[in-house]
Amino acid sequence: MSHLTRRWKLLLPFGVIAVAASIVISTSLAASQAREVRVAIMTDCKGAFGFGYEPDIGGAQAAFAQYAGGKAKNPKKPSAGMTGIKVGSTSVKIVGYGCGDDTVPTAVKETRRLMEQLKADVMIGPLSGDEAVSVANYAKTHPTKTFVIGTAGSQDPTLQIAPKNVFRYHGDGAQWNAGIGEIAYKKLGWRNAAIVMDDYSFGWTSGAGIIADFCAIGGKITKRVFPPLGTTDYASYIQQLPGPDQIDGYFWVVGGTGTGASLTAFEQANGALKPSQHIGNLFFAFLGADKVVAPKVVGSYVGGFGTGPGLKTKQAKAYEAVVAKHYPGLNGGNYADGFVYNYYNAAWAFIRGLQSSAGQLGAKLQASMPKTNASGYEVSDNGIVKLDGNRQAIQDQYPLQIVKNADGSVGTVVVGYVPNVDQSFGGLFKKTSPAPGRTQPPCVKKKLPWQGKIKVVKNGVITNAVIK
Amino acid sequence: MTGVATTKLYVERAIGAGLLAVAALAPVIVNDYWVDVILTQVLIVGIAALSLIFLSAYGGMVSLAQTALMGIAGFILGNMVTERAPGGETKGLLLGWDPTLSLVLAILGTTVIGLIFGAVASRSLGIYFLMITLTYSVIAFYFVGQVTVVSGFSGIAGINGYTPGFIGDMVNDRYRLYYIALLVALAVYGTVRFIVRTPFGLALQGIRDEPVRMGSLGYTVPLHRTLAFGLSAFFASLAGVLLVWWQGQIAPGDIGLQTTLELLIVAVIGGLGRLEGAFIGAFAFIVINNYIRDSWLTDLLDTVGIGGSFNTIIGLIFLAIVIVSPDGLMGLWDRLWGFLRQTEGPDEPTVTPQPAGQQG
Repeated sequence: MSHLTRRWKLLLPFGVIAVAASIVISTSLAASQAREVRVAIMTDCKGAFGFGYEPDIGGAQAAFAQYAGGKAKNPKKPSAGMTGIKVGSTSVKIVGYGCGDDTVPTAVKETRRLMEQLKADVMIGPLSGDEAVSVANYAKTHPTKTFVIGTAGSQDPTLQIAPKNVFRYHGDGAQWNAGIGEIAYKKLGWRNAAIVMDDYSFGWTSGAGIIADFCAIGGKITKRVFPPLGTTDYASYIQQLPGPDQIDGYFWVVGGTGTGASLTAFEQANGALKPSQHIGNLFFAFLGADKVVAPKVVGSYVGGFGTGPGLKTKQAKAYEAVVAKHYPGLNGGNYADGFVYNYYNAAWAFIRGLQSSAGQLGAKLQASMPKTNASGYEVSDNGIVKLDGNRQAIQDQYPLQIVKNADGSVGTVVVGYVPNVDQSFGGLFKKTSPAPGRTQPPCVKKKLPWQGKIKVVKNGVITNAVIK
Repeated sequence: MTGVATTKLYVERAIGAGLLAVAALAPVIVNDYWVDVILTQVLIVGIAALSLIFLSAYGGMVSLAQTALMGIAGFILGNMVTERAPGGETKGLLLGWDPTLSLVLAILGTTVIGLIFGAVASRSLGIYFLMITLTYSVIAFYFVGQVTVVSGFSGIAGINGYTPGFIGDMVNDRYRLYYIALLVALAVYGTVRFIVRTPFGLALQGIRDEPVRMGSLGYTVPLHRTLAFGLSAFFASLAGVLLVWWQGQIAPGDIGLQTTLELLIVAVIGGLGRLEGAFIGAFAFIVINNYIRDSWLTDLLDTVGIGGSFNTIIGLIFLAIVIVSPDGLMGLWDRLWGFLRQTEGPDEPTVTPQPAGQQG
């Protein structure tokens, strides 16, 4: 080997080290610049919800643009950043975007990076259920930092863990399914049903909402089946279910690629799917399943996502117009998606909190965080979402139905309006009750606050008729 | 030894002492984030990587099971110490056992599992050994992910609230974990340095180089390999315990395929042939991971269309290391001295441990 080759082989790595050192120094210097309110947006850029990265950031930043003068660097790419955010006389800087992968370890590391390395005072996020549990645990030991959950459906962060510095302006996974059990009972005549649910925190919480709602009105869950997350062959789980002639129907709480795979396995074992025998949670119709799963079950009812796609109210239209103005075409123009909507509301609530705390952070900001929010799809109380004592939203919910559009495509329509759904389901879920799990909640008959009050929604208009 | 080689030894010792002094005084030299997150993590990952490098450099076995073993210690500890909180915010067996007992059982349990793993894998070598250990890693991942009684996908949280009295409060006492990790790292490093000089260590190195000849001489090759694997499992379990104290929680993602490969990358970047490489590699990996995403380099790579993700950048660095210096950053250091020595004239060869895969 010549001396020349040896030299470059030595010089190249030292060059790499020099570049790395300059990056560390430059970013460290950037982090220690003048004081302003530092905000981090935590979402996923990898894993099952990696597609939520731009929609989430876009949703949050649309609120910063609308209510705090932020200028998008690139309206086609929210993660390019935003400048000029000012709340009153306080400058707000978005210091970084968290890149989770819906797992706990990454959430922990990303949270520490955002809150400690980039010195964020406030986090808007995270995106998924397990991540929110991690963030809530982190928040408990960092009381001066404030966390406004982006869009995460696990129950624990605001019920069992519930630190004072964690706020959630949208429902949890159980709340999103309010009303769907009653629809199964009344509209489809189900009395006995089985449930298939992903064996992790979001699956349990989402399933808990269905079980609570269906049992409350008098239905019985005769079988609960728990495929682990990431299952690809559902045949053995389908075998555990009672046959279609033994029960009235099946609730499905299976996400990701499992939604299609589990229904396919069901078809192979029991023949063609009868839409009136199947109800899904949001996974039936969102997150890409609208293309894969929905066509197989046109006519089936689906649990909501805390949003009212196609709802024709002034407030809903105004919300959609705001997002469209700042980030036209975000999320393929589907502004009613819970990802965009929930991040938007989280950022908006934070802006109002900072306004009323006059730029003060920590306990002052936490005390000033609004107890209400005029969220786009809220109708109850003149369109005001209220927070409960655990800083968790009491929010209207919208059960959906899969329909075939005039152009032959398959989509969803809102079929019901469930007013003011609280996290406790009228006291069923408590701080002292176990977090949703395989056996929690039990199937009990109970009077839920919204029972018998679900209004029919037709063509996006809430009617006075109740679902019978 | 020539003048350059002796000088190198002194320089290395001086640098080592200097780094140790810096590490001991880190809380007054660098900010809290560096102490709490970067350096603590470097020590934890470093210990795990050291367990891998020990096997590789002295036993000729590249193991992909170290991350799994680390996680096993964490899961055992998590299941044993946590108890049913008022709201049941965590999962697992919730045994609520004494933290000291649980700590001992976690380390012991992992070591025993390591011995069993080692016994099964001890008769294979090279790519087959790698595949068997990868299998362990995958089994461990799916076991904790799918057997929801012991963990489930969400994992176990709130573990750092239960630490033995002699360890102290991990949650509120700043720097405590860092210093504990530093002591453990030094102890593991010292232990390995000691072990490789014992008859067992020398026999292990003999087995690394000439397993057939060592067998003919009467050494039980599989037994030595098994014991070495058990020992590395013990070191990995210490890293696992520190990890759950640091994170407060553990989930299957901690021992997923990506994390498994990341530990190998750490070891390769640092250098599979020298123990110090574990900490050098961990430092490089963690610093890059932390700082790269908010840097101009990311924007630059994004602009030219390569995509500025951490994985892209670490992949490029990995590629550069493998091409330029297959024995990692430590190898680069050795080469620098070799370059100096060359200007001084030829030298008798010195014996340095060689990583697996580089044997003749």
